[in-house]
Amino acid sequence: MTIRNTIRDHGQRFRPRMACLKKAEAVLLEMQDPKTGVKSQPQRLVITTIPHAIMGEDIVAWLADRFNTDTQEARSLGCMLVAFGYIYPLQDHKRLVLKPDTSLYRFQTPYFWPAQQWPVEDTDYAIYLAKQNIRKKGILDLYEQEQYSRLHKWMNHKWDFIVMQAKEQYRAGKERKKPDRVVFDCQERAYWVVHRPPPGTVSAMDYGLNRLVDPNAEEVKGEKHYTKTPDFYERIMIFTQQSIMRPRVKSSVSIGAMVKYCTTYKNHDPFLAQCLPSNPWVTDDVTYWTLNMTNVEIPTKMRVERWTFSFGELLSDPRGRDDFRLFLKKEFSGENLAFWEGCEDLKWGTAATMKDKAQQIYKTFLARGAPRWINIDGKTMEVTVKGLKHPHRYVLDAAQTHIYMLMKKDSFGRYLKSPVFKDTQKKAISPDQHQFSEGQLEQNAKKRRPSLSPIALRQREEEQRAKMAASGPVDITQLCRFTAPVPHLSVYSGISDPPSANASPPLPFLSHTPACPSPISVAIDSTPASERRGGGNAAREGGGEYNAEGGGGSGGGVVAGSKSRVALSLGRLLKRGCAPSAVFASLSPKCPAPASMSSRVQPISTDQPAQAPPRRIANFFQIKVDIPPECRIYPIDSEEEEEEEVDSRRGSRGGEGTKEIICPWESLTPQDGTG
Amino acid sequence: MGKDECKTMLDALNKVTACYRHLVIALGSTSDSQNLREELRKTRRKAQELATANRTRLTALLKDKTVPREDRVEYERLWVLFSSNMDLLEVDMKRSLEIGEDFPLRVPTRHLIATGMTGSTTAVAARAMSVQNMKYEADGDVDTADLRELRGEIGQVSRMMEEMEMKVQVAPWAVEAKQEPGAELRSAAADSVGNSSVGVISICEEEPKEDDEGARRREAGSGSLCAVLVFAVVLLVAGVLGYLVVSMS
Repeated sequence: MTIRNTIRDHGQRFRPRMACLKKAEAVLLEMQDPKTGVKSQPQRLVITTIPHAIMGEDIVAWLADRFNTDTQEARSLGCMLVAFGYIYPLQDHKRLVLKPDTSLYRFQTPYFWPAQQWPVEDTDYAIYLAKQNIRKKGILDLYEQEQYSRLHKWMNHKWDFIVMQAKEQYRAGKERKKPDRVVFDCQERAYWVVHRPPPGTVSAMDYGLNRLVDPNAEEVKGEKHYTKTPDFYERIMIFTQQSIMRPRVKSSVSIGAMVKYCTTYKNHDPFLAQCLPSNPWVTDDVTYWTLNMTNVEIPTKMRVERWTFSFGELLSDPRGRDDFRLFLKKEFSGENLAFWEGCEDLKWGTAATMKDKAQQIYKTFLARGAPRWINIDGKTMEVTVKGLKHPHRYVLDAAQTHIYMLMKKDSFGRYLKSPVFKDTQKKAISPDQHQFSEGQLEQNAKKRRPSLSPIALRQREEEQRAKMAASGPVDITQLCRFTAPVPHLSVYSGISDPPSANASPPLPFLSHTPACPSPISVAIDSTPASERRGGGNAAREGGGEYNAEGGGGSGGGVVAGSKSRVALSLGRLLKRGCAPSAVFASLSPKCPAPASMSSRVQPISTDQPAQAPPRRIANFFQIKVDIPPECRIYPIDSEEEEEEEVDSRRGSRGGEGTKEIICPWESLTPQDGTG
Repeated sequence: MGKDECKTMLDALNKVTACYRHLVIALGSTSDSQNLREELRKTRRKAQELATANRTRLTALLKDKTVPREDRVEYERLWVLFSSNMDLLEVDMKRSLEIGEDFPLRVPTRHLIATGMTGSTTAVAARAMSVQNMKYEADGDVDTADLRELRGEIGQVSRMMEEMEMKVQVAPWAVEAKQEPGAELRSAAADSVGNSSVGVISICEEEPKEDDEGARRREAGSGSLCAVLVFAVVLLVAGVLGYLVVSMS
């Protein structure tokens, strides 16, 4: 009873091509030849003798002979035949493997062969279970019982039929002679082991989803049942036109790329090279997976090697990304990665939170005076800001690509030479190959357990992400109460909650742009002391953290060697509404640098004289003194009025100490007291 | 009464479907033969007769708008039984066509699959036809002739089923089963009219090295032997313990 609606039928109801089945059938038929086929022998049970039992080693030998391969290959082929159900084992019927010894097997009857066009029906399974119930007087396996109850619930309307049919089939079966009955029972049981595998085993007939198009149907083009309307030809024309217009690559280039890929990844492919310590699918030992989990402390050597292949590989491996993040933290350019991750989050997240996320990202990364400002060129910024008026999933794509390229061309190279990476490389482990005996392999197979549920894993991930977002690396360059993090959006934004004093990481202030160190240093050098109003009394609880190597490593001293720990203080300062600039320690490299060389977080209470103007603001922006309460960084609707506001404020300088962030590309004019 | 009549006919159809399935399973294996093909053909014909009879009866009953509610529910249940039977039958017929074509009997290079079944299926067919002994009167090439007819019959059955769906509006999922789980274990069920009970327990023999659930019965003889052995062991243990107790005190 199928309802066929050919016009708008988007249902996937066709089984995919299973070309291997026909080929296996051909092989099986060859095996039947009494002269050249597999030798069979009778199987002796207690009172009956059943013919046509074959030994495992005979099958392997025959296959090796027929296909002219070695025994290992023949054994795999035999295993495949058993897994599909063409041959079934007489002992240990639940494990569908071919043992190359004297264990007995038998051929399956053609009705029970797996076939692409005959899907296995639940009705039949229910009838089988009912028959088993009768046969075993109610004692079924646990999984069979579960299936029975489930089918009873879902096929309740057919249950009378199932019971009737089961009884009738059972009685009809009794009409046959004893040996045939035994054989029939074994056949049926083997069939259902293949198609409804017991828990802990996999069915070879697992083909994934059903397909939309019938693979057995003839090709549409040129068949009589398809009308050749003008529309049909129109579509063919469009298709060919598009194929002509498609850009083409020279085959030398594409083949070269393929060769390069193969040589690079050859040793990492578990099919081509040995998987250390052992391939879990083969030996049932999950060490490989536990060693390569996402949050493992010490990665394996192969994994670390993979990170060196390309930047994409590094980023796509969570452990690699962590390592890279650590490196960027030391270099104080973590906002790039944070921005990139935020964009990914936006792209892949739920539609409901999209708008908020986009806003959040803008506030944190893109706005003028944003706490974690990233350095993208003016044109991209324009485009992005314009797009943010009507945010959609891919609005930050241009900026993200820019940042990605930046990281790839610049940080990645430095990462590979950095001590962080070299340290990881040194610590990476390389496990030894497992050597399992047959008995051990069976033990492993018995000890198979399902892994952690993906729901639990996802929850763990979410928790971790929320934790990171709440206490993420803060490279605040400007305090703004409106840039408080929204943890539920998991955007790596700057400010954390009133925190534990020693928990916050340092503030990476700058996106290092070695390309233009000079304007920055110019800006820094020429920065006049910005007024600090009342900032001094704000206790600066943040400690300074210097990363000498990071500072030294980057060119041009762009990355200021001085940071202040804003994370903690900001929160409190916000509440007090104090001047933030106190926080932005104008810790010039000369300043308390030596004192705060230690990487421990220490509250710097009286590092600087309260009223002393900051000599150098070793950050990208020239920060003014106070934040007026009206500091707003609303990107989306009021971008223009914010600009006006800023302009007006810039115009109304003088003594008033307005908070202002001047993006260096806009004006490198000499400052006049207020920046 | 209409209901009982229907039930009897449905039982018969059910029996024939079950037997047909057994016969189709034997196709292509070493128990295949010209006789089997003929049995298939005969069973199939019988099934079709029963099917048409059932169909006319049930359609008549269901089209009748004047039946009371409970009766209608019952008829719908019978209808679901009937259509499920026909589904099974249709699939089996198509498969027998396919396998029959794949395994022609008179081609010497084409070997039958050595499945271990060597006996004949006469008894099953006799059960299907409700006769004592089967008579085989067809000529030697029944397999090829049969296939031609089979194609036609499959088409007939499909058309019949489509007509059925069109004529009668029954929602199969709305039908509630009368049997609860485990009903097959009871020997006398409400629906199995006129069949022998399931009293005789078949002993299914197991391969020697079975190591799974193992709830299989052994033969009666060995069972009693085991019981005797256990008894003797218990007696022995009791004797030893008693002796120890006595020697202690």
